[in-house]
Amino acid sequence: MSHPTETQVPSQTARNAAEDLADVDRVLGGNAAAFEGIVQRWQGPLVNMAWRYCRDRSRAEEMAQDAFIRAWRNLGQWRRESSFSTWLFALAANVFRNELKRVPAMTLPMDEVAEPSGPATQGDALDESMRQEAVRKAVLALPMRYREPVLLFYFHEMDVGAAAQTMKLPEGTVKARLSRARELLRRRFPHLAQEHAAMESRREA
Amino acid sequence: MRDEKINHILASEEALIPSSGFVSAVMERIREDAAAPPPIPFPWKRFVPGAVLAMGGLGWGAVELTRQAIKAARSAQPVLLQIPDSLLHPMETAGWVALALGISWASWMVARRAGGESRLL
Repeated sequence: MSHPTETQVPSQTARNAAEDLADVDRVLGGNAAAFEGIVQRWQGPLVNMAWRYCRDRSRAEEMAQDAFIRAWRNLGQWRRESSFSTWLFALAANVFRNELKRVPAMTLPMDEVAEPSGPATQGDALDESMRQEAVRKAVLALPMRYREPVLLFYFHEMDVGAAAQTMKLPEGTVKARLSRARELLRRRFPHLAQEHAAMESRREA
Repeated sequence: MRDEKINHILASEEALIPSSGFVSAVMERIREDAAAPPPIPFPWKRFVPGAVLAMGGLGWGAVELTRQAIKAARSAQPVLLQIPDSLLHPMETAGWVALALGISWASWMVARRAGGESRLL
């Protein structure tokens, strides 16, 4: 289905705003085909967002598809007080959250997510890759109230405001939950703390 | 683990490109949805008068019952309501059924809550 790329997508938001507005007006005017423009522009962000929620490629596409259908049905409810992307992401987050409540993602409990035995040696790319995957799996094992802020914070390229808007929560709440989530991850991966300290000392030397 | 390390790991996630048929699959569903007849709206015009009537009936019954009870209490009769013996037994049975239903509901709620926490249900 998909090929990984290095690009992340929410930064396209501003330049798409005018096109979104025009397409929404056309759809609301009765031209259903105009919705294709919206799907073309937002398929990448929505599939990637869904992927972060479930880490299952085919399920991510199904969830993104459901989000588009929901957007299509509720297009008239977009009040235009916020940007179309803000509305779409909030709606999609709601769809993904409900879908994962219905059928939870296949995750291990946080305590069972294996941590590589020791700090990575320099140049050991495989070990580093495993370590990163373990951290991502641990994020998915966090309770939903902490998991979602983490997923959306990094999806929105570390923009707390955007993550808060997507979750419809105050920024302070999102910051507090992010902090708690990081604390849980730090506790789960003490070796990474040692590794970071070692890297810092190497840099200073 | 310092935040920089977490940021580095979680922000460097590879992005996925949706499959080539994704847009056409969504648009197919959109076309089906657009072609489908609109959902039948809830018949509020029929429901509201019926509901008002039912509520009125229930309210009237409650008021009447209270009035009878007050009247009976004032006349200091030891038995307020004359329930025929033929009705007494079914009412007792209904009470037990209600109690059983209540216990079942409570245990279901407890099981659901426990299941929700352990992701078993």
